[in-house]
Amino acid sequence: MKTIKRATILCIFIARLTAVPLLCEQPHPPAISPAAAIEVEMIQAGEISLPAEFQVALYENLVQELQKNGGFSQVYRDGDRNAAGASDLVVLHTAVTAFKKGSELERDVTTVGGATSITIHCKFTDKEGKVLLERDITGKVRLIGDNLKATDDFAKKAATVAQETLSSDSTSSNSKKSGYKNVI
Amino acid sequence: MKLNRLILWSLLIALGTLTPLCPAQQPPPAPVSIEAVQVIGLVGVKQNTKGNLKVENGSLSFAHSKSTCEVPAASIQDVVTGADSQRVIGGTVGTISRLAPYGGGTALSLLRSKVDIITIQYRDSNGGLHGVIFTMPVGQAQLIKQALVAQGAHTSIPSQAKSISYSPLQSEAKEQVN
Repeated sequence: MKTIKRATILCIFIARLTAVPLLCEQPHPPAISPAAAIEVEMIQAGEISLPAEFQVALYENLVQELQKNGGFSQVYRDGDRNAAGASDLVVLHTAVTAFKKGSELERDVTTVGGATSITIHCKFTDKEGKVLLERDITGKVRLIGDNLKATDDFAKKAATVAQETLSSDSTSSNSKKSGYKNVI
Repeated sequence: MKLNRLILWSLLIALGTLTPLCPAQQPPPAPVSIEAVQVIGLVGVKQNTKGNLKVENGSLSFAHSKSTCEVPAASIQDVVTGADSQRVIGGTVGTISRLAPYGGGTALSLLRSKVDIITIQYRDSNGGLHGVIFTMPVGQAQLIKQALVAQGAHTSIPSQAKSISYSPLQSEAKEQVN
C-alpha cells in the first residue's frame, strides 16, 4: 500500500515538473522573415521640442550604425529612389516620444545629475506598410561625454534590435541579447 | 531745327536719369570661409574632423587634410543655426555658446571653448536625405547660413532679423540677452 502511494506521489510530482515548462511557455511572436535591405526615415520630433542638431545626429548615427552593425546588405536613406527597387525591404519609422536635454557641465561637476535621455518609438514595416515590429528605445548619457552621446547610444541599441530580429544576418542564438520586448 | 535739338537733349537727359534706375547686375556674393569642425554627416569624413568650411560658387565645401567635400547650395533643404533652434524651442539665445553640446573632444566641459552650431539637411543625387552638423567659432554660423541662403539654400527658420520682426516675444528674448 505504502509503495503504491509513494509511486503515485512520485508520478504526480514528475508529471508536474514536466508540465510546468509547457504551461509557462509564452506564445511566440509572429515569425518575421529576414530582410536584406532597410530604409531609414528621418526622425520625427512631433510635439517634442527637439533641437535640429539632435534630430540630425540621431538620424546620421542610426544610418551609420545600421551600415556597420545592422546586418543588412543595403541601408537606404530617407527618400532614396533606389529603395523602390529593393525586394526584401524593411522601412524604419521613428518618432521621438520623450527628450530630456541634460547638461555636460552638470554631469562633470556633480557626476550625478545632468543626464541626457531620449526615447524613440521605432516602427519597422515592410514595403506595403505592414508593421513587423514596434519598440521603444532609449538613448542615454549619464556620466561622461557630451549630449550627443545619447544619440549614439540610441543608434547602437536600435541597430542591435534590427540586426537580431529583422536582418538576414540575424541568428537565433543572439535573439535574446538586447532584452527589449516587442510591443506587438 | 532748334526743336529737334531740344527733343534730342530732352531724350539724353531722360536716359541719363533713368539709367541708374535700371536693375544693375549684382556682383556675386563674396565667399565666406571659416575654420570649422564637422561633427557628423559628411560622407567619407570621420566624426569631429577639423577643416575649412567655405561657401562659394553656389556650393558649400568642407576641406580637410585628406579631401574636400562639396554640397550644392540648391540641394540644401534646411539650414539651421544653434541659435535658431534655441529660439524656436524657447530658450535663451545667449546660453548656446556656453553650454553647447559638442566640445572639441575635451573631457571636461568646463574647459571647452565657445562654439556655434550649424545643422544642414540636403538630398543627394538619388534623393537620399543627409544631415550634417558643424561647430565653429561663435558668431560664424549666422554668416554661413546667410551665405548659403543667398546662394539658393532653403531654411525652415528665417534669419534672426526677420523672425524678430514677426514676433514681439522673440525681440523681448533678444533684449534679455543683450
